[in-house]
Amino acid sequence: MDIPHWQKHWNDRRAPFADECRQARDALLSDLKQPGVAQQRVLADVIDMSAGSVHWRERGYDAVAADPGLFRSVLPIMRYDDFVPEIERETRTKGGTLTCSPVLRWLKTSGTTGVPKLVPYTLHWLLTYRIPAMKAMWGTYLEYHPELLDHPYATLDTQTVREDVFDFVHGIGHQAVSNRHPQINSRDWNPPWYESPWFGPAVPSAHEGRMYHRIRHLVGRDLHYISAINPSTLISLRDLLAAHGTDLVRDLREGTLEGRPYTEPDERAARHLEDVLRKPDFSLKDVWPSLTLYTCWLSASAGLYAAKLDAVFPGVDKLPFMSCGTEGVTTIPVDDSPHSQPLAVGQAYFEFVPADVPLGELVDSGEPVHTLLFDEVEPGRDYHLIMTQGNGLYRLWTGDIYRVDRIVDGTPWVHFVHRDGIFHSFTGEKITESQVTEAIRRGLAASGLGTGLYMCGPRWAEPPYYIVVTEAPEPSPRLDRALSADVDSALHEINIEYASKRDSGRLGALEVVTVPHDAITAYIESRRQAGNATQYKYKPFQQDIDFVAAVSGRISGR
Amino acid sequence: MIETKRPPQNIRREIVGIPVEGAELALHLWRPRGQVKGAVFYFHGLQSHAGWLWEVGPQFADNDIAFYVLDRRGSGISGGTRHDLPDVDTVIRDYVTALEHVRETVGESVPLSLFGHCLGGSFMAALMHHPDFTTRYDAAVFCSAWLGKLHATLDDEQLRTLAAETGQEPWDAGLRAQDFTDEARHRHFIDHDDLAVRELTRRSRGVLLDLERLYMRPERTLPAVPAAYVSGISDPIIDLDDARRTFLGMTGSHGALLQFATDKHYLFYTDVRARLVDWASTFTLLQGLDRHA
Repeated sequence: MDIPHWQKHWNDRRAPFADECRQARDALLSDLKQPGVAQQRVLADVIDMSAGSVHWRERGYDAVAADPGLFRSVLPIMRYDDFVPEIERETRTKGGTLTCSPVLRWLKTSGTTGVPKLVPYTLHWLLTYRIPAMKAMWGTYLEYHPELLDHPYATLDTQTVREDVFDFVHGIGHQAVSNRHPQINSRDWNPPWYESPWFGPAVPSAHEGRMYHRIRHLVGRDLHYISAINPSTLISLRDLLAAHGTDLVRDLREGTLEGRPYTEPDERAARHLEDVLRKPDFSLKDVWPSLTLYTCWLSASAGLYAAKLDAVFPGVDKLPFMSCGTEGVTTIPVDDSPHSQPLAVGQAYFEFVPADVPLGELVDSGEPVHTLLFDEVEPGRDYHLIMTQGNGLYRLWTGDIYRVDRIVDGTPWVHFVHRDGIFHSFTGEKITESQVTEAIRRGLAASGLGTGLYMCGPRWAEPPYYIVVTEAPEPSPRLDRALSADVDSALHEINIEYASKRDSGRLGALEVVTVPHDAITAYIESRRQAGNATQYKYKPFQQDIDFVAAVSGRISGR
Repeated sequence: MIETKRPPQNIRREIVGIPVEGAELALHLWRPRGQVKGAVFYFHGLQSHAGWLWEVGPQFADNDIAFYVLDRRGSGISGGTRHDLPDVDTVIRDYVTALEHVRETVGESVPLSLFGHCLGGSFMAALMHHPDFTTRYDAAVFCSAWLGKLHATLDDEQLRTLAAETGQEPWDAGLRAQDFTDEARHRHFIDHDDLAVRELTRRSRGVLLDLERLYMRPERTLPAVPAAYVSGISDPIIDLDDARRTFLGMTGSHGALLQFATDKHYLFYTDVRARLVDWASTFTLLQGLDRHA
């Protein structure tokens, strides 16, 4: 029988892919031992790529070409919105405006005003930064779990997708960074499974349909590894397996895909899946006993999925996904540390500002801001992150707060803590996400509960107050009352303005509503948008309280 | 020559400001990061500009060719009055200045081709015949260009009237995206390109006529360099028979005719794009061979 094209591709790419990933990881490890050299290399490269650009010439920034030491004093700290006029010009020139590299795509990500951002994806950025970052991360995965390349069915990769693009900006595709389609050239992302039938553009683009295809192709196979960006994708995989179990069993038994003839019937796999599905709390390890690894974000709000992931993947190793956004890569995992990774010193030129500095106010007023470099940060402290990427977005204030965990060989190991800024303020209390997170943690701990998924929002009333919905093993009004009192008390201790407003009656007492396990997961899944399912993020902090009724089935209002 | 065993290479895309009298022109460039083995200078047509060539420039550069496109005065992101052509001398001087810059940048040893598309071919032919243009070039490509269109379509009386035209009112070129390409993405781009020039002042057509006269009534012979006329099998905008006649009359035994399998006008927005770029790259690079070595 002829080997299908996708398997030939898998076989052809297996060894080169492993080599490329190992080399990229070696280069990363080398950078981490000489972070200063790496940072200077990146800065020199950024200057080389942008000094001749129209924007830099017009503003006189090209002066830094002669003296790179001027970089921080000549170029201002920027927010994405500050780049919009130049990006508008760049959409017409397709390169040459912000950097001297052709723009191949515009990366789509949500903006602050509801208008999707346009992040320039240049050839230079692709070749020098983004693809090497991916390969370095996979190099770590392969170092720890080489079995993920054992055979063509060993890996299910949901990190990236291949979807046809229908949105264009002056002729150039506008798409999510996770969409690696079409392939730009042979140096673009090209894993062995690039042509696999569950990975290509023929797979449905809607989340549920895509997941069904992935599962259908891999159930009954010796799957070793499932990769994702968000943990919610993995939970969703398990839930969709349960929801579509009957169809999957039928397709396996009859050799069909969604009822249409596809391959040979697999009675053994059908029977195994039937057996697994009889257990109401089956795990993905039950479905695939061969599973040895999963990867996804494991820290910050993603860390709240820990208990669920443990239930879905009992005894399965886990490795973290890199810290990154559409705008660029910040950290890349080099080992199995779940909550801390080295700053990717070869990916961007990084600057830091202590988190307690009101950076927004300073940037708004145009005041000079003193930034720290990678070798000036201290373990245990939180910092605003400012990064200069090779795609032309220089000194970009990301809005992310990172904590420095430790310094290894001169390189900071960090983890994402939260987005900068206040989560909400009814009356000047200016509470932050991390303050609420800590208050919930303390409140739940007082009742002997660990922190799981929760959502929090502001409720306008007389007086206004905050509502938290959290999953609990045994929800009850009594538990709600106890948790409400404890979380409110904890926030009272953590934020003195909150305490003041509460004491003066300007704020009402925080209310906690407990819901059964999986209630929030189900709500998140219901909100998952078809178009950006790969990058869909669970957001604990909401700006309204619509979620309360949706999750708990009750209208809040004391 | 092209290194055939290497992977795709990183390239640079730059926009150089060319100061000319009364304006700054944008000279766009796509080039390899390493050695430049050939150069192509592209003359865009009426409505297009360098921003149309985002797929073409990188491919030339990947073929080791430095690909230059001058946004003509009043076009693309260049300065100058839009929808209005300056006098012939200014038009020629702008191109002379840009090409002198290009030759100086790439050096004497690098083969340089001129490549004119549609109306850009007419600008190019006029420049080639102008006594002020002394920059050495090594090959010439006319692509879907109706050379001598006004002379072919207007009678003597109409030509006299056009030559005396001083009106500032707009003349619509009547260009339609569906004549340029079948591809929805490119049609959408053409229809929504806010930098495109779709009409000219009536007096500007008189300038176009003056430019045509420079090569329809030539006062100097062209250098003995290879030239090619490239088009689709048919063209909805160009009378190819007439255009080729003019081309062959201009280039004589140095000229060659080449057809790619499309019936659309803008070959770069059809399936033949990659093959056309590769052919033009080879055509350019081969002129760099030292046959006496």
